[in-house]
Amino acid sequence: MSKHRVSRRQFLNYTLTGVGGFMAAGMLMPMVRFAVDPVLKASEGGDFIATKQRVDEITTEPQRVDFTFTQKDAWYESEVTNTAWVYRDDKGEIVALSPVCKHLGCVVSWGSDSANPDMFFCPCHYGLYTKDGVNVPGTPPLGPLDVFPYQERDGILYLGKAKPHKEA
Amino acid sequence: MRWTSSDMDMYMKEKEYVDTAVIPMLPVSFGSDMKQAASMAEFIALLTNQLERQFRGRLVLLPGYTYFKNDSEKSLEGVKNWERELGKDQFKHVFIVTADTEWKKHERNLSSSLIWLPSIPLEHMDENYKVSIIEDQVKQLMHLFIQKWRESE
Ligand code: FES
Repeated sequence: MSKHRVSRRQFLNYTLTGVGGFMAAGMLMPMVRFAVDPVLKASEGGDFIATKQRVDEITTEPQRVDFTFTQKDAWYESEVTNTAWVYRDDKGEIVALSPVCKHLGCVVSWGSDSANPDMFFCPCHYGLYTKDGVNVPGTPPLGPLDVFPYQERDGILYLGKAKPHKEA
Repeated sequence: MRWTSSDMDMYMKEKEYVDTAVIPMLPVSFGSDMKQAASMAEFIALLTNQLERQFRGRLVLLPGYTYFKNDSEKSLEGVKNWERELGKDQFKHVFIVTADTEWKKHERNLSSSLIWLPSIPLEHMDENYKVSIIEDQVKQLMHLFIQKWRESE
């Protein structure tokens, strides 16, 4: 009759495209979210986390400072406790070093090797780092310990995400 | 390292540095000692997990060895199998970590180092207290590992 009359074929075409479109969107949305989510998360990670350490109690002797935050994996949300070695350097600047060995990831500690009381020591393959976090040549680690950026808020030390050591 | 594909990539690359395998012992029972078995398994899993975080560059934490608590003969066979299998590769040290006293009796028959720790019931514990208890235990465990490593050098 009129030109606007929708033929059977057209009708099917329209409906199928419509439904198909919905279906495609339904499938794509989660996929896009998957792809984008890690990006969103990374920006969240820039936050600073409060420790229990008072800034005016930081001395020149490295001490262990723990801080706990919630980490979201794909399926789990877990409380993760991280550790930093914190002290003031000769200039009075605060230094917060990551304890994760740059060889294969064991946890280093200050002065735990009796032969090297003023170094960071890794018990796994006897890696050594000087107080500023720089690896001692001849021991397995190939780079210096990561550094936590820090902030001071109300006299409390806040730590951010560990970054590679710059001056080395 | 953990028993995950990404950690195994690392293992294959750095094999020469990874000389230790850890088997957490996880008892299962549906009898009257059900709760006790569960609490042992819980405790050992938690402990070995924390241990792995400290020593991940030198050891592989294997998926736990699950066994029926009332069938120690069969379980022993299973463990020996694991030992044989692990000995083939270059694991110089194999540690079995358990809270079950039953294994103490079999210590002579095992070629690996058996580490027995009394299980601490964590269920009614305050969160902070729990963390510090586990930390303490992990420290002791670390000492044992370091000692064994030193002895063999
Ligand atoms: S993991 Fe620290 S020296 Fe190998």
